[in-house]
Amino acid sequence: MKKFLSLTFISLCGILPLMAQGNSLDFLRSTGKIYSVVTVIAVIFIGITILLYRLDRKLTKLENQIKNEQ
Amino acid sequence: MKGFWWKIAGVLLFLYVLIGGMIIPIKSGITSVTPNNAKSGEQLTFNVVGYNTNFLSATKVRAWLKLDSIHAISATEIEKISENDAKFAFSIPSNFPTKEAVQPLTLIVDTDIDGVFVQPNAIFVTLSDSAVISSEAWMSSAIGQFSEVKGIKFPYRNILNETIRNTFFHIALWFAMFILLIAGVYHAVRFLNTGDMVHDIKSAAFNKIGIMYGVFGLITGSIWAKFTWDTFWTSDVKLNMTAIAMLIYLAYLVLRGSSSDHDRRAKLSASYSIFAFVALIPLVFIIPRMTDSLHPGNGGNPALGGDDLDNTLRLFFYPSIIALALLGTWMSQLLIRYEKLKEKILLKNQ
Repeated sequence: MKKFLSLTFISLCGILPLMAQGNSLDFLRSTGKIYSVVTVIAVIFIGITILLYRLDRKLTKLENQIKNEQ
Repeated sequence: MKGFWWKIAGVLLFLYVLIGGMIIPIKSGITSVTPNNAKSGEQLTFNVVGYNTNFLSATKVRAWLKLDSIHAISATEIEKISENDAKFAFSIPSNFPTKEAVQPLTLIVDTDIDGVFVQPNAIFVTLSDSAVISSEAWMSSAIGQFSEVKGIKFPYRNILNETIRNTFFHIALWFAMFILLIAGVYHAVRFLNTGDMVHDIKSAAFNKIGIMYGVFGLITGSIWAKFTWDTFWTSDVKLNMTAIAMLIYLAYLVLRGSSSDHDRRAKLSASYSIFAFVALIPLVFIIPRMTDSLHPGNGGNPALGGDDLDNTLRLFFYPSIIALALLGTWMSQLLIRYEKLKEKILLKNQ
């Protein structure tokens, strides 16, 4: 989990300065700012994926617990 | 299959919103008019840049400069350059019906393909000293017989442009968050009434997913703001108060994680979630409406009406709320099932 979170953090650190630069934002602003909508959908998708990943890890732990008892 | 239909309904509805919300085009609009100022009595050609317009394909293009509801002039010459570019020539009268030094004129364009679209305050006309009050050369109420827009199209808003589609995601997320938090507070009350641990688990799950939606709402709003207000965050009341409300709810997660005594944790978090929900209402709905705010829907800044949410947007906005609420309930249900299983194993081990 920690590894995953730090990985996300590092990748975000890489993306944010890129986004702050004028050039890449110009691309995001092209065709009537449609890419802002794409970014918003991507954020929701990534968020739900993180939730699924965490739930997956928790369930694996629970499964291992049951396995050890048997 | 039994008990599964609403999950499928949620997915299908969200798919409908994603596809329909992305492929339906935006109505035509005007992005820029140059030059944007003129002197009275001048003969001027304006370069007009349109968005989603079909100047070349349209057989009939008409344009007017409107002063008020009864005074307007029509274009003397229209030159189509490309689908999105055109030149409109106007001879601005030397006399105006009112005597104000600077008069704002609204540009109205009507084509048989795109329908009618306007750019308010497109041109500012400075009156010369010799101008007298006269409505001659101004035609009265001659604008009319506009073409109809064909098919379903989302409204065109300046600055917003295509980002108006974020209505289906950013705003719907907040609405869905409210539905989930109401479910959370309902189960908190039920827990305090009955003392049944199932309600504690349910309340926690709904609140967790609700908080997740709230965090999504803040992030997506921040992205939207970057594209429209050119900043990720401003010290606007709506933004700050919502952030405070989310912090109050984040403290709920800390509270739940802090106590290992299950009964105590359940009682504490149930009462805290009622407090947090009660704090959320004035923070999000009341305080932002009492002062000026940049955010639509607050302080005399209308939203959810007019062109911000017209009937074509509603066609996707309401299904999106239902879809996100259903998907959120699904996610909460998974958390509930996990927590129940965990408790069962815990009880067996004791």
